[in-house]
Amino acid sequence: MSQIQSDPSSLRPAFMTPQKLLPDEKCSLGCPILDCCMGGGIPCNSITEIVAESGSGKTQFCLQLSLRAQLPPFLGGLSASSLYLYTEFPFPTRRLHQLSSALQSQYPQIFVNNYDPCDGVFLQSVNTADQLLDIMPQVESFLENSKTRLPVRVIVIDSMAALFRAEFDNTASDLIRRSSLFFKISGKLKEFAKRFNLAVLVTNQVMDVVDSGEGANETRIGNLNGMYSSGRRISPALGLSWANCVNSRLFLSKDEYESGSVGGGESGFQSRQTRRRLHVVFAPHLPGLSCEFVIRREGVLGVNR
Amino acid sequence: MAIFSKLLTKTDIKKRLSFPTRCLESLPCFGRGHAVDFHVMDECGQLWTFRCTIRKKKNPKPVISKDWSKFVSRKNLDVGDMITFSKLENIVGCAFYKIEVKKPVKLFGVNVDLEISDGEALEILKVASSHGSLMDRSNAILQQEQQQQSLNPKDWIAVDSQNAWDLLHEERSLMTRITTSCADLDDILGGGISCKQVTEIGGVPGIGKTQLGIQLAVNVQMPSYCGGLGGKAIYIDTEGSFMGERAQEIAEAYVEDISEYNRFLHKDLQACQGEIQGKDVLQNIYFFRICSYTEQIALINYLEEFISDHKDVKIVIIDSVAFHFRQGFEDMSLRTRILGEMALKLVKLAKMCNLAVVLLNQVTTRYMEGSFQLSFSLGDNWSRCCTNRIILYWNGNERYAYIDKSPYLRSAAAPYSVTSRGIRNSASHCKRSKLV
Repeated sequence: MSQIQSDPSSLRPAFMTPQKLLPDEKCSLGCPILDCCMGGGIPCNSITEIVAESGSGKTQFCLQLSLRAQLPPFLGGLSASSLYLYTEFPFPTRRLHQLSSALQSQYPQIFVNNYDPCDGVFLQSVNTADQLLDIMPQVESFLENSKTRLPVRVIVIDSMAALFRAEFDNTASDLIRRSSLFFKISGKLKEFAKRFNLAVLVTNQVMDVVDSGEGANETRIGNLNGMYSSGRRISPALGLSWANCVNSRLFLSKDEYESGSVGGGESGFQSRQTRRRLHVVFAPHLPGLSCEFVIRREGVLGVNR
Repeated sequence: MAIFSKLLTKTDIKKRLSFPTRCLESLPCFGRGHAVDFHVMDECGQLWTFRCTIRKKKNPKPVISKDWSKFVSRKNLDVGDMITFSKLENIVGCAFYKIEVKKPVKLFGVNVDLEISDGEALEILKVASSHGSLMDRSNAILQQEQQQQSLNPKDWIAVDSQNAWDLLHEERSLMTRITTSCADLDDILGGGISCKQVTEIGGVPGIGKTQLGIQLAVNVQMPSYCGGLGGKAIYIDTEGSFMGERAQEIAEAYVEDISEYNRFLHKDLQACQGEIQGKDVLQNIYFFRICSYTEQIALINYLEEFISDHKDVKIVIIDSVAFHFRQGFEDMSLRTRILGEMALKLVKLAKMCNLAVVLLNQVTTRYMEGSFQLSFSLGDNWSRCCTNRIILYWNGNERYAYIDKSPYLRSAAAPYSVTSRGIRNSASHCKRSKLV
């Protein structure tokens, strides 16, 4: 602040040309099919949201991103640590370790001297929206003078919706308070994203759409005309105001189907499989693509089918 | 372009207006007949149907009749008054005709040439006032004259304010437009986003606001031989949705289109090719990334200075205007005041610097009359500030733009689509790329 005051001309905003923004830095998820669908990965300097019902793989994406960010740029990473803010307990430590050792064995030349990729993921639990806003100054100082091996360039918030679920009523004043919190949080995150060139990934839950018989009552947002998962019509939680706060929105759908019976079949051993898809709902840089993916021990992988 | 000026004669007043034969070529085509009707607009914007008649013999001796005598009586024309006929073109290149009347002003009994500047007028008045008692007399005369000329106050003495005709004329000649690259959308907008005005565009997330913003920032650079402005753009990003790679994609498609157009026109290929490149297009966009509302206000205050240094800026895009103003303003009246001031600055900027201001806005759900409805954010006071307002919305699987508010355009809706090349006509017949 004192610097700015001493030299008023520095207050003058500086322009740049979009050329400077090129190439947009992305953090790859480590699978060319998924990356292709997302234009190279999760973009820096931007907030990406993943919307899905529980058990669709949101957290898998988050964990994978926070680990993969540590890879050097030529392997699709950012050479950066990540900050993982989780709101739902317990944090999937075992899964993180599993993914971490998979990554380690995939790139032994990067993770030398028994370096565990988990060491580059910083965890912080958050319980309420106000708390999230309260720890923002801490986050800022953490980003500014990180003593970490690699600078922090990824922030994950898993999940945003959980912060807002409990303490807000469906009254006008609460809704106003809620949406103003959205904008505050998002404003802060975007500011960090720009200052430190961060990739910000947040997750959001879904609500069932209760068909009130009036037909298309809800507002359509993005490329999908109605989101379906597990055969139900759903819509992202947190509503339209929050949708205004993110730059890109991805949607994970899952559908169970019977892939036929296994081993003779007369005993009714129906093998049920889950088909998962990643959809781009909206993104400033992406067309409305989608692709299928599976969740394996090694992480989330896209499938060409 | 003036076709002719003439001091009216007695025959002109009493019967019909004759004019030089050489001016015939500027008038509408006669075809095989010897008379043609055409519309002429006077200073007040009123249309008159004049008939131009010629003789089929050697000397055509063209004359104007029909509404002419009506015009003479309505305008109270007299011998010695001057009329000027001119031909203008509107934005789509259609010709129209204009007639202006100038009556001689008598100052101290002398005919004064009316084309006097402000300075000269002051000089005259000074001279008059130095003659003391004359001043009153001259004032009296002037007032008298003014009363006589109430139809045409402009000619009395040059004044700073503009009358409606000037505005209309200015609109016709100076109000240029920036194409949206979607012909249907351009159609309902009268050719595109207009300069000198503030246009607000709003819609749900993912409808294509940012895409339209980038497209306009690129299209404003269209060279004049393609009917563009050849200007530069200021893009103010408050949300972080502007992606360099997307801008590049749109810019490259634009460059392709331009060179295609050149080839079509059989322009000198060598000269045109390699002239523009995608990166040059991006170089002409001044990009600001804003992280708080104070920064936003500071930047808007600074814009005037910036534009005076960069005179070729023809469009200012703010994407989005609302974002930082929705972050929990405790004092709503303060917000209203700040927004009002900001809007005024933008309106002024658009007018003074002859550029288009495009504000992208978010929409919000509002509880109105017992149900939740979509409306633009930032409230009613804000919505009064913008001259034009376009709503983008989904209609089935198609994107539509609707003119919600405009002082001179009919409200209408048009489909558009967002393609990899940018904003384009909606291709409902060739189905959007399948999403599933």
